[in-house]
Amino acid sequence: MRSHIIGTIFRKEMLEVLRDKRMLFLVILMPFFLYPVMFTLIGFVGKSQGEKLNTEKVTVLLNPEAENTPISVLLKANPTLDVKLESFEQAALDTMTNTIGVLVGDGYQSSLDSNRSATVTIYYDSSKDLLDGRVNDIKSSVEELSQDLLLARLNAQQLPQGFVKPIDLREQNIAPQERVIGKIMGRFLPMMLLLFIFTGCIYIAIDITAGEKERRTLQTLFTAPLKVSEIIAGKFLATFLVGVVSATMNVLSLLVAMYIQVQLLSDGKAGEAFSLPIGPEGWAWMALIIVLATAFMAAISIAVVLLANSYKEAQSYVSPLMMVIIIPAVMSQMPGMELTTTTAMIPMLNISLAIGAIFQGIFNVGHILMVVLFALLYAGLALYLASLTFGNENVVTGEKVKFNALFSKR
Amino acid sequence: MQALIEARGLSKDFGSLWAARDVSFQVEAGEIVGMLGPNGAGKTTTLRMLSGLLTPTEGEAFVGGHSMQHAQQDARKGLGFLTGDMDLYRRLKPAEVLNYFGRLYGVPETTLKNRVAQLMNAFHINEFADRFCEKLSTGQKQRVSIARTLVHDPKVVILDEPTTGLDIMASEFILQFIRSMAKEEGKAVIFSTHHLDEVERLCDKVLVIHAGRLVFAGTPAELNAQTGKNRLADSFFQLVNA
Repeated sequence: MRSHIIGTIFRKEMLEVLRDKRMLFLVILMPFFLYPVMFTLIGFVGKSQGEKLNTEKVTVLLNPEAENTPISVLLKANPTLDVKLESFEQAALDTMTNTIGVLVGDGYQSSLDSNRSATVTIYYDSSKDLLDGRVNDIKSSVEELSQDLLLARLNAQQLPQGFVKPIDLREQNIAPQERVIGKIMGRFLPMMLLLFIFTGCIYIAIDITAGEKERRTLQTLFTAPLKVSEIIAGKFLATFLVGVVSATMNVLSLLVAMYIQVQLLSDGKAGEAFSLPIGPEGWAWMALIIVLATAFMAAISIAVVLLANSYKEAQSYVSPLMMVIIIPAVMSQMPGMELTTTTAMIPMLNISLAIGAIFQGIFNVGHILMVVLFALLYAGLALYLASLTFGNENVVTGEKVKFNALFSKR
Repeated sequence: MQALIEARGLSKDFGSLWAARDVSFQVEAGEIVGMLGPNGAGKTTTLRMLSGLLTPTEGEAFVGGHSMQHAQQDARKGLGFLTGDMDLYRRLKPAEVLNYFGRLYGVPETTLKNRVAQLMNAFHINEFADRFCEKLSTGQKQRVSIARTLVHDPKVVILDEPTTGLDIMASEFILQFIRSMAKEEGKAVIFSTHHLDEVERLCDKVLVIHAGRLVFAGTPAELNAQTGKNRLADSFFQLVNA
């Protein structure tokens, strides 16, 4: 392979990309502005919805027998509850808007007075977020009341509080704040990242392969004294570079957007908490893995969309290819799924798991090295596949590709 | 004199159809050869085999003495090839297209600069040099395409229907250029066409392909003599309808 020929093809492809406003918008500008705008919007909507859920009044129907009980007093003390003393039918509640029914059982006071349990039943539609939140408030109030009554009973019997709670079980989360953020990021960021890289790669791959076939410019290249490997290398490098730039822009944009959202949701107090548990070593591994993942996706994108004869036909290959990326990324989020010697060998799953582990700041260098080696292997195989496809006679002449002769040489 | 183009028993089987069958001919330096044939006769398939875009099922193609099958890089260095299936990069300007292909053909930078200037001048490309190729008219595109075909100064030029879709002025410009590159620069030129008047005016030899087979190879006068007709068009129709 001659490097100056590869460089010439690469520079020409990049020149065309830079002059393609649609491509620049799709790959760089849109993600750069979309995520901060989208996340800011989500932040605002989330905040206002949260406020609405916390302040909107809900009607509570309390059966008349509960009048003058501590339950009634407690509920009336809550400013977000509009308590009405009236009987209700369970079925009727379903037709009422934002209404909860609280039924204090028969013999409430006599049960309490005789140190037995009294029954309080809450009726509500758990599919409504607003009611769900208010029911939690009511439950907390009733549990507090129950606790007070219990203490009174224990005092009356001169028994200590530990009498009814022999073991006081406590838990303490020792994870530092950045690891918690890292875990959250490590869960969804790998999938987002892989999708960003794929999006960056696939559109330029379509443009410089199927797009060129459709625009009838690919055949010219094949009459020049070039090796197939030189053509594929030049086109691969352009796809790869756009993929890396796209991924970088997307990640930066996403981090900025997330920072803004955290600030919004925490009234500007969470800025210091938004740090990640990744040191220089972690960032270096991450960069290497992203580069190799991009190389793999660039090569596989070229190999597949090259089979199409038009931009439209190539776009029909995008969804199945995206599934190849998404399914392993989703699998990596399943409980118990972690980077091991076995998972480090599975394409895309290994990348997703490795990125997740690095974000959490708990990774085994041996496993990461395995991921790097296998990612390198898969990128090489995908590139080899692309070069075989490129050499096919039907691909070159723009004829319908015969799959049974796909890898036959010209 | 050594032939600059040689087709030696070229055949192409597409599975259900032999698009070309045992096609053999030679073209020498300074010769203009017109390739005639109805649509689907096998002209483009034959030209694609000569350029190396298609591998012959049987036979071998030679350009400048180099086998297109066994020494493809050397053969292609001396070949300028243009078919109707080749367009220009939309987002490049004409000079950028010429420079790009000049570099791919390994033309040294200093030579390339002069060559591009010369071609842009000869094809009157300077008039629209600052436009992207997607903005050019059909005639302007064809001028740039032919200049692209010649940027590495090949000894052999193959043009597949170079005047299709062009108006009479643009066609005449292209035909005159074909004549000058053969007669003044000594290039071997094959061009396929459906315009028999172009063949009568320009060509030293005629190749008639019909149903994948070469049914005639000789001068226009020999074709008329063989068919007993006075006009090339009449001779052609008699040959392909026989």
